Amino acid sequence: MDARNFTFLFYGFLAAWLIVILYVISLARRGARLKKELEDVKQLVSSNQAGHTAPVEDRVR
Amino acid sequence: MLRERTAVGLAIAAGALLVYNLYQMFMVLPDEALQGAIYRILFFHVPAGIVGMIGYFVALTFSLLYLSSGNLRWDSLSASIVEVSLVFSLVNIVTGSIWARNQWGIWWTWDYRLTSALVCILIFAGYLMMRRAIEEPIQRARLSSALCIFGCVDVVIVWKSIEWFRNNHPGPVLSIRTGGGTMDPAMERILWLNFLAILLIGISLVLVRTRQETMAREIDSLRRFANAV
Amino acid sequence: MRTLSQALAVARKDLAVEIRTKESTNAAGAFALAILVLFSFAFDPSADMLRQMAGGLLWLVFAFAGALVFNRGFAKELPNECLDALLASPLSSASLLLGKAFANVVLLLALEIVSLILFGVLYDVNWTACPWSLAAVFFLASWGIAIIGAAFGALTVNLRLRELMLPVILYPLLVPLLIAAIELTDALLFEKRITGTELLWGRILLAFDIVFTALAMALAETILVN
Repeated sequence: MDARNFTFLFYGFLAAWLIVILYVISLARRGARLKKELEDVKQLVSSNQAGHTAPVEDRVR
Repeated sequence: MLRERTAVGLAIAAGALLVYNLYQMFMVLPDEALQGAIYRILFFHVPAGIVGMIGYFVALTFSLLYLSSGNLRWDSLSASIVEVSLVFSLVNIVTGSIWARNQWGIWWTWDYRLTSALVCILIFAGYLMMRRAIEEPIQRARLSSALCIFGCVDVVIVWKSIEWFRNNHPGPVLSIRTGGGTMDPAMERILWLNFLAILLIGISLVLVRTRQETMAREIDSLRRFANAV
Repeated sequence: MRTLSQALAVARKDLAVEIRTKESTNAAGAFALAILVLFSFAFDPSADMLRQMAGGLLWLVFAFAGALVFNRGFAKELPNECLDALLASPLSSASLLLGKAFANVVLLLALEIVSLILFGVLYDVNWTACPWSLAAVFFLASWGIAIIGAAFGALTVNLRLRELMLPVILYPLLVPLLIAAIELTDALLFEKRITGTELLWGRILLAFDIVFTALAMALAETILVN
C-alpha cells in the first residue's frame, strides 16, 4: 500500500474522530454544568419557599 | 432515565458496528485501483455528509411541528438535531479536504458541491448563533423555527445546483443515484453500514443534547419562579 | 389586493421618511463608494481582471450596503413603540413585511444605479450595451435580496447585537442568488449576450424570488407576532 496515502488516511480518520470526540467532551461538560446549575436553582427555590413559610403573626408583629 | 439508557444503547450498537466496519475496511476490502489506501476516507466522508443533510430536514420537520403545536419539546429536538448535523457536516468537509489534498493536490476548490456544503454549514451555524442571542424561550423557538424553514429551503436550491452544472467533484457513485452503480458492491455495502453506525451515533448524541435543552428550560422556569415568589 | 394596497401604504410611508431623513441612503451610499474606491487599491484593476471581477464586486457592494438598509428597516420602528402600534393595527403581518420589502427594493435599486454609474466612470466599464436585460437582472436580484432582507430584519429586530446577527444569517442564504446575479451581470457587461447557461441562472434567480417571497409572506405572522 502507498505510504503517503496511508499518512493522509490516518490524518483523515484522526480529523473525523477528533471532531466527534471534541463535541462529545463539550456535551459532557455542558451536561455537568447544567446538572449543577439545576441543583443550585432547586435549592434556591426550596430555601425561598422555606423562608416564606414563617407564621404570618411573626411577620405582622 | 429511559432516554439516557437508549442513548447509551445506541452508542454501544454503533461502536460494535464501527468495529466490524473497520475490520472489513482494512482487512477484507482491497485497495482502490487508482487511489490506493486513501479511498477508505470515503466510508466516513460520505455517510457523515448524508447524515448531516438528513438531519437538517428532520430538524425542519420538528420546527414545523413546533409552529403547529407550540410544544417547546419540538424546538429542543430541532435545535439539538441541527447542532449534531453541523458536527457531521464539519466532519464531511474536513475529511473531504484531506482527501482532496492527497488526490488533487489542493485543500479546497470552489466547485459548486464544496461551496454548497460550506454554505449549509454557514446557514446553520448562523441558526445556532441566533439561538444564543435570544433568551426568552418562546421567542427563541418561534424565530429559530422560521430561520430553520428558510435555511432548509435554501439548502435545496444550493444542493440542486450540482445537478445543473459541471464541476470537478467526483460524480454520483452510489447505486441509488446511478441506477446500476459505479462502486464495487462490497465497498458500497460497507459504506451503507458505516452510514448506519454514524446515524446511530448521531441519534444518541441528539438524545443527550435534547435532555440538556430540557434541563436548561427547567432551570430557566425555576429561576423565573424563584424571582416571582 | 388588500395586502398589496396595505403594503404599498407601508412602502410609501417608509420612503417618505427616508426621503426626509436620508438615514439609510447616506450610510449605504457612502459605504458603497468607499468599497468601490478601496477595491482599486486591493487589486490592480486591469481590463482583464475587471472582466473577471466586475459582477462580483458590484454585487458584493450591493449586498453589504443593502444590509445597512435592512438593519434600519424595522429598527427605526422601535422608538416610541411604533412597531407594536403597527402590529396592533389592522395591517396584516404579510403586508407589513411586503411593504418593507418594497421600500427596501426601491432604496437598493437607487443605490445600484448610482453605484453602476460610479463604477462605469471609475473603472471605465460600458454598461449601457444591454440596458434592459441588465435592468431586469438587477430588479430580480434586488427583489430577492430585499424580501429576505426585510424578513431577516424583522427576525433580528429585537435581538441584542442586531447589526451583527443580520449579516451573519443573511449572507449564507443569499449565496445562490448572488452567484446567479454575478454570472448574469458579468455576461451582460462583457459578453453582451445571454447563452444557455446564463438563461439557467436567470431561471434560478426567478425561482429564488418566487419561493422566498412566498415563504416570507407565509412566515410573516410567525416572525412578527409578539
